[in-house]
Amino acid sequence: MSEHVKGSVLVVGGGIAGMQSALDLADSGYYVYLLEQSSAIGGAMAQLDKTFPTNDCAM
Amino acid sequence: MSDWEPKITAFLCNWCSYGAADLAGVSRLQYPPYFRVIRVPCSARISPKFILSAFRHGADGVWVSG
Amino acid sequence: MSGKPGNFSAEILKRPRFVDVEKCIACGACAEKCPKKVDDAYNQNLIKRKAIYVEYPQAVPLKYAIDKDHCIFFEKGKCRACEKFCPSKAINFDDKEEHLNLKVGAVILAPGFRAYNPAGDDTFKYGRLPNVVTSMEFERILSATGPSQGHIRRPSDQKSPKKIAWLQCVGSRDVHRAAHGYCSSVCCMYAVKEAVIAKEHAGGDLDCAIFYMDMRSHGKDFERYYNDAKEKHGIRFIRSRVPTIEPVDDTGDLILPHVNEAGEVEEERFDMVVLSVGMETTPEVARLARNLDIDLTEGRFCRTDTFHPVRSSRPGVFVCGAFQGTKDIPQSVIEASSAAAEAEVLLSAARNTETRRKKEILERREGNKTPRIGVFVCHCGINIGGVVDVPAVRDYAATLPFVEFVTDNLFTCSTDTQDTISRVIREKALNRIVVAACTPKTHEPLFQETLVSAGLNRYVFEMTNIRNQDSWVHKDAPDKATEKAKDLVRMAVAKAALMSPLEEAEVDVNRRAVVVGGGVSGMAASKALSGQGYQVTLVEREATLGGQALNLFRTWRGEDIQENLAAMVKSVESDPLIDVCLNTELGQVEGFVGNFKTTLTCKGQEHVVDHGVTILATGAKEFKPEEYLYGKDPRVVTHLELDRKFMNHDQGLKSVKAAVFIQCVGSREPQRPYCSRVCCTHAIESALYLKKINPDAEIFVLNREIRTYGEREYLYREARLAGIVFIRFSLETKPKVFVDGADLKVEVPDAALGHSVGIKADLLALATAIVPYKDEKLARFFKVPMNEDGFFVEAHAKLGPSEFASDGVFLCGMAHYPKPIDEALAQGQAAASRAVTLLSREKIRVSGTVAYVNPAVCSSCGVCVEVCPYSAPSFIEKGPFSGKAEINPVLCKGCGLCVSSCRSGALNLKGFEEGQIMAMINEV
Repeated sequence: MSEHVKGSVLVVGGGIAGMQSALDLADSGYYVYLLEQSSAIGGAMAQLDKTFPTNDCAM
Repeated sequence: MSDWEPKITAFLCNWCSYGAADLAGVSRLQYPPYFRVIRVPCSARISPKFILSAFRHGADGVWVSG
Repeated sequence: MSGKPGNFSAEILKRPRFVDVEKCIACGACAEKCPKKVDDAYNQNLIKRKAIYVEYPQAVPLKYAIDKDHCIFFEKGKCRACEKFCPSKAINFDDKEEHLNLKVGAVILAPGFRAYNPAGDDTFKYGRLPNVVTSMEFERILSATGPSQGHIRRPSDQKSPKKIAWLQCVGSRDVHRAAHGYCSSVCCMYAVKEAVIAKEHAGGDLDCAIFYMDMRSHGKDFERYYNDAKEKHGIRFIRSRVPTIEPVDDTGDLILPHVNEAGEVEEERFDMVVLSVGMETTPEVARLARNLDIDLTEGRFCRTDTFHPVRSSRPGVFVCGAFQGTKDIPQSVIEASSAAAEAEVLLSAARNTETRRKKEILERREGNKTPRIGVFVCHCGINIGGVVDVPAVRDYAATLPFVEFVTDNLFTCSTDTQDTISRVIREKALNRIVVAACTPKTHEPLFQETLVSAGLNRYVFEMTNIRNQDSWVHKDAPDKATEKAKDLVRMAVAKAALMSPLEEAEVDVNRRAVVVGGGVSGMAASKALSGQGYQVTLVEREATLGGQALNLFRTWRGEDIQENLAAMVKSVESDPLIDVCLNTELGQVEGFVGNFKTTLTCKGQEHVVDHGVTILATGAKEFKPEEYLYGKDPRVVTHLELDRKFMNHDQGLKSVKAAVFIQCVGSREPQRPYCSRVCCTHAIESALYLKKINPDAEIFVLNREIRTYGEREYLYREARLAGIVFIRFSLETKPKVFVDGADLKVEVPDAALGHSVGIKADLLALATAIVPYKDEKLARFFKVPMNEDGFFVEAHAKLGPSEFASDGVFLCGMAHYPKPIDEALAQGQAAASRAVTLLSREKIRVSGTVAYVNPAVCSSCGVCVEVCPYSAPSFIEKGPFSGKAEINPVLCKGCGLCVSSCRSGALNLKGFEEGQIMAMINEV
């Protein structure tokens, strides 16, 4: 079985969750295909102004 | 006073205000060309000596942001 | 998609962008010239963008794309303005759709959510009344990159509003029309945040009111934020559902009628109303799920179970983020790492089989010689050259000290220029390079690679920004811009002359992990590590594994906890890679990331473990209250004690005529101002179970607010339908519990009824707080911080929830914050996934930009040791410099805090040396 296992992962969605999954996998030795339907990654978080509780800039 | 051109030394944190200055450019915001930026890894890097030194070298203002 | 876990084949459609990302330099000339204006979806259609566009100014990749549905060329066959004006020939109208077939081992679904569209809902008249906006629109209105640069203006007349109302639960907790029965989990907090930020932007005279049903601030530090919003920022919280919004003639103002807590109808006039819209899965994602053969829940989220929180119903397909259930950013980030861990376990046999390694090029020892500086000045098409006199800057650079070579390039970043730079470095024996172009934040790594390919150290490089911070912002003053460019080049050259090659410290990584705490999160972390072939030492202070889960009866989904827990314990105990140490505590810890040395103490015996990473999963415990006759009357129990009765099939429960649950016992009180997150759900689930085994029992849940977030909300609805009575109290009107003869009585004032309700209770269950162990010894060992409540403080509240700022130490479970089993388990896996990013490397290589000490000057004052957030400085213990400070380059993040704090000038920061910065200051 093991020789048939692929060392790559398809991540569907380039928002904060998809990006974090992709980073963890890539940093651990897996090839990642990150799929995003728009022309840039970032997802909904990129539209937010600030985040609580620290009121940090979401960008 | 109106034609006075101040000389401002700006210390900008790489992670926030330096990026913000980049973004001002991307957005084509226009501002007066009087300050010169020194990029620092963090505003924590700024020592009071830098500020004094900037004034000693003729800065009219020092801008630290991070 | 076809295939099986470990080996899937996925068909992907790649839509054309019509812009070559290799060539696009994101100068924006195309968008400037594009004649077609289109609604800007990023800004919630509040403003327009062009048909050729970037999603948002900070987009990654920062490359333009053509919106085919709106482009004039695609509509009418002519225009091509973008093509004409693109300086780098990046436009490609012939770009075609591509069908890709990807062979992958696993799939992670993170498709996200969309905001509920309230347009179909008559209550709010959204779309008809211009000053009724959604919360997503309001986010853009608040944003500095939004339609009004962060100035709050209402849509009808661009006036600054003086009174804004937020209406909660729009599209959530509502079973009517297209709305959803679940709670969207995030709206309460974002509404509070929006109100706080709006007040910050608008100054003191803005009045913000939030109309809500239950304020759900159940996340870490959220309750404090909510309290501050009320007390410090003066946000008004009105517990009422607004039935309609009425316009005031043509003023643009809005009237909100509502019933106040005393039951009277009131009307209040506002300038603007924000609808706190919930989350929903899009029909496209639901269709994708159907195509992939994945089960969905009632609310159209991916179905998972408590003990496998990120596994979809299809093996090998994992899920994270809002598609797994409504959730906030930190929980999404936790699940994302958890899903990565699951995929890594599945594919660990194939690790590193598809990734590529960079070729290493030997570095020439040029750096320490007399500086020979090369300066490359970029035109960036016309982006710089159109404003700044680039040849003049180039010629000026040639006059500066140590400059041996200058040139200008149309695009310094192009591939052929990299070859030129590399060749020139060798031919002219250059040993310092300055590039004057765009921003180092995007392009520094590219040029550093070029240096490396030419055999130079990557740190003998300085980049100065004459585009974003010069030509783009001083368009109308070309002479001044040129002067500024010269100054910037002079400053960069002055710094470059003082540069020297830097070394990147390397450490070997010990592949063993120590996990402290054998509850569900610690066990989940251990399994996620051992599943990838890493050895684990699992340390548990008690005599058994399982932690607090040993005391729990059922999950909110109705799953049996003991059965699942027993299976988990068994799989951990029988795992040959997991060394379980029971009755064990940590005695001593030395070392740092990659190389920890921990002394374990078990029944007086000590033994030392070498390990590369540490995961803290030390959990939390139940608070034992002193109020409500707890400990004085046997009928008064905590939730865990009630669960014990359930597990023991206690026959007494069947004769209970009236049962009372009191919520927030010890939580959300002045001395413990946080919400324990799990108790509302647990109370309702227990009440329903009690009702099931004893249908005649009368059940009352006395609460301050019910916080059944996400699809847990269905339980709350079910409980009300089952006749369970919910009575609300406040901190000032807490219930009174007393014994009257043989009877246990509970009395609580009911605001809705206007008088007190007295209940004769046979059972009183107290939802006691979850309190941390406040293990200061452990915090000291690993130099990790605790917050004022005693929970550990993660690296970043949103983006780093499962790790500490100190490298190599990770965090999961209730030691982070109270949480239910599924979340604790997911965070255990997440901590493991984060840890594997270190364990999977043979060596850790760190940046060369680190602090260092001149011990001869160090006065041993210890300020650096104290101020560093990453524990990089310490005192030397032996040798001639004993007692002086030293910096561990592996831990140092290069922020320079210690350097600027050092009173004796003993510290300095490589890459940003005192002398280098002073040289730049001199040249301003």
